[in-house]
Amino acid sequence: MSAPHSNPLDHPEVRQASTWRYLAGFAATIVLMQAALTVTLRQHLPYTEYTLTIGGLALASLLAQAALFFGLDISRAQIWKSVSLVLTVPLFILSVGLTVWMFQSLMQRTMIMPHNMTQPTMLQ
Amino acid sequence: MATQAAPGAGTRLFHPHFEGHDQISARTLGFWLYMLSDALIFTGLFVAYAVLNNPMGAAGGPIATQIVNPVEGIWQTYAVLGSVAAYSLATVALKKGSKAGVMAGIVISILLALIFLGYEVRDLMGLMAQGHGPDRSGFLSAFFVLIATHGLHMMFGILWMLVMLVQIPTLGFSPNVVARLLNLRMFWQFQATVWVLVYVYVYMIGAF
Repeated sequence: MSAPHSNPLDHPEVRQASTWRYLAGFAATIVLMQAALTVTLRQHLPYTEYTLTIGGLALASLLAQAALFFGLDISRAQIWKSVSLVLTVPLFILSVGLTVWMFQSLMQRTMIMPHNMTQPTMLQ
Repeated sequence: MATQAAPGAGTRLFHPHFEGHDQISARTLGFWLYMLSDALIFTGLFVAYAVLNNPMGAAGGPIATQIVNPVEGIWQTYAVLGSVAAYSLATVALKKGSKAGVMAGIVISILLALIFLGYEVRDLMGLMAQGHGPDRSGFLSAFFVLIATHGLHMMFGILWMLVMLVQIPTLGFSPNVVARLLNLRMFWQFQATVWVLVYVYVYMIGAF
């Protein structure tokens, strides 16, 4: 939290706006998404390596957005947003990880899977 | 040892120069916490999608590989990121106190958001026209709800921007208007962040 300001335009969160930072965030996200699309279209990686590569590019994109667009850092104006995000991220991971693990385990034990799991894709 | 006087009639509850909470920071932090809870809603939708994206969940209907196209999705990605960049540059104009700059940024942002929504509506309507609506299977229900929830957030953001286009010329850059503009910037950026996850997980990994 920061000190009160008589002029709202002097507030630290207003003063934080930066043309170069926003343009850098835009360019970084576009480049990373374009790289991910290129990897997807080439289809030259096995599935596991592919998901790790795409996941890494997505994570880099999220970090670029957090730092450059959201402006998250440990400054006095932003520290509590950064802390609350860090404390919430484990909830995302637990929600997704545990649920997917639980249902995958349940499916293997209860479902009779079709013999042919592969289907044509929009990329082919 | 320090001594503390008992509170009495002369006790001052507020100090005029106390560096405590200010209204704008309190509102942006409160909105940020709301967005984190909103992100947990999207987490639940992603989980439902992940669990149902298989032939069992498709119940004889299509799964992701048959209905998503990452090449078309990239144009939506460009549109939503362009919209966020335009709104972010509007906040640079806010720093300079330029009403015209802020409003121009918002208008560009709205136009790009409408392009994004146009793609989204076209895709969903196209699927429904082929008989692949949300009632076809559990997978398609999860797919439609995930995409439409994001689309509804975008529509609400556009409505919020339209309100700000009225409030900026009428109320000026008052503390309330500035707080709303800052919250809207976070909300709008949040939509781009969610879309990047949708694009990577649904449109790219789903199509692999």
